[in-house]
Amino acid sequence: MKYVFLHLLGQVAVDEKMQEIKILKDTKEAQRLIPLPTEKRQAALFLLKDKRYYQELSARNLILTKEAIRNAVNSDALIIQSISTIGELDQICNLLAKRLREWCGLYLPELSEKVTNHERFVELIITKTRVELQKEYAITETMGADLEQHHVQELVLLAKQIQQLYRLRQEQDRYLQKVMQEYCPNLLELAGATIGARLLELGKGLKRLALLPASTIQLLGAEKALFRHIKTGARVPKYGVLFQHPLIQGAAKDLKGKAARQLADKLSLCTRLDYFKGELKAGEYKKELEKRFG
Amino acid sequence: MSTKIKPHRVFGLYQDERGRMLCTKSILQGKTHFRERTIRAQKEEYREIDPTRSKLAAAVVKGATNIGIRQGDVVLYLGASHGYTISFVSDMVGKEGLIFGIDPAPRVMRDLVFLAEERKNIIPILADANHPEEYEKRICGADIVYQDIAQRNQAEIFVENCRLFLKKGGYGLLAVKARSIDPKKKSKQIFEEVRKKVEAELTVIDYRILEPLEKDHCMIIVKK
Repeated sequence: MKYVFLHLLGQVAVDEKMQEIKILKDTKEAQRLIPLPTEKRQAALFLLKDKRYYQELSARNLILTKEAIRNAVNSDALIIQSISTIGELDQICNLLAKRLREWCGLYLPELSEKVTNHERFVELIITKTRVELQKEYAITETMGADLEQHHVQELVLLAKQIQQLYRLRQEQDRYLQKVMQEYCPNLLELAGATIGARLLELGKGLKRLALLPASTIQLLGAEKALFRHIKTGARVPKYGVLFQHPLIQGAAKDLKGKAARQLADKLSLCTRLDYFKGELKAGEYKKELEKRFG
Repeated sequence: MSTKIKPHRVFGLYQDERGRMLCTKSILQGKTHFRERTIRAQKEEYREIDPTRSKLAAAVVKGATNIGIRQGDVVLYLGASHGYTISFVSDMVGKEGLIFGIDPAPRVMRDLVFLAEERKNIIPILADANHPEEYEKRICGADIVYQDIAQRNQAEIFVENCRLFLKKGGYGLLAVKARSIDPKKKSKQIFEEVRKKVEAELTVIDYRILEPLEKDHCMIIVKK
């Protein structure tokens, strides 16, 4: 045995002609041997291709992989789960609130017209009776049928569930704020919790987001429009998820593209400050942008 | 079901009498992983491969005759994902074989670990195929290198991995996704470019465009 190299299986020794291989149990023996030159590494790996080692290789790799999966969980993963939950809760709440409105239409159709806010509507159904509602919203005559109490009960039950979901959504919002305040305060300050978290989701984590160019951040969430532009020469998209940002919403129409570009620049700086643990500068950037576009 | 199953012209694969379905002989009877259809025949169980889900099966359906995978082979599988194709490769190499499934995403690796715990010949490794040094100390030399990753430099990654880990005379299978190399160019042109890059170091023995089973993809089979 002449050479030695470190493998998952342990210190592996190889002879000079690269024909025999042995896994060393004694580490002292390894110190007497020469480290394997890189150009012979490949041949050594083929010597390990032997049924004797398969089981050991499998067991050790499985342990390492499981550990790596465990270690891969970080704040990014938590934020991504949370923002996805919020998105889905929004969908579910809307769907169920619409159903509640339809159901309620049998009973007091006028109310749906008067109260447009879903959350308020749900609350009213739970807390007030039909007579009270009629008085409050000045509904003198209703088209709704006089349902028996046990029918109305079911409707209120649904309303209660929807209210629970709205509360869950608020709770998720608070949680997201809290996690992001610790993990990426600059991004949170400038982008807000929802957009910041969406950026982290689309950018696949803070590290990658910090390494992305600002122009990519500007278009995250606009992939479909971007590729349509590349393929067919359609118009270039100006913004992706940034569209929802108050700065862009508030900017004059002909300045929207400019605002998006500059916001993306500053967001890119924010992610870098967050990833490399810099100071808080987002407030400064925000003021600067507000002065220009607010 | 009492369908007759006969060997396919590709070693390790089987088909029914009309040659309509493609399957492998299961090494883990009574167990399915992806709700695939199974067929019992001659006291054996066969699992059907869906060629629209697996590029390997798509290449076979499109006429590839020699994919190189034999019983007892060691396969280096880059881009293992949830393990759909890998579960069939696991059938093809049998209990004597070994497959290193490499993928950089923790989410899909979780599924692959569950698969590997049932199929002992699969070894899941959480690593990036772009950086062979991350996993070179965890694997051994391979008879087959299979790659299916959607990266811009997929051709270079393939050549590098073949250079490092593929034995002389071993086969390499490369599934090319044209759209991740360049979304604008014609896919045929991209395939030609990839083929040239691969041919610089390896011998191309087969080349199949996977349309219509897989849009803008092709399979290049090489020998070292």
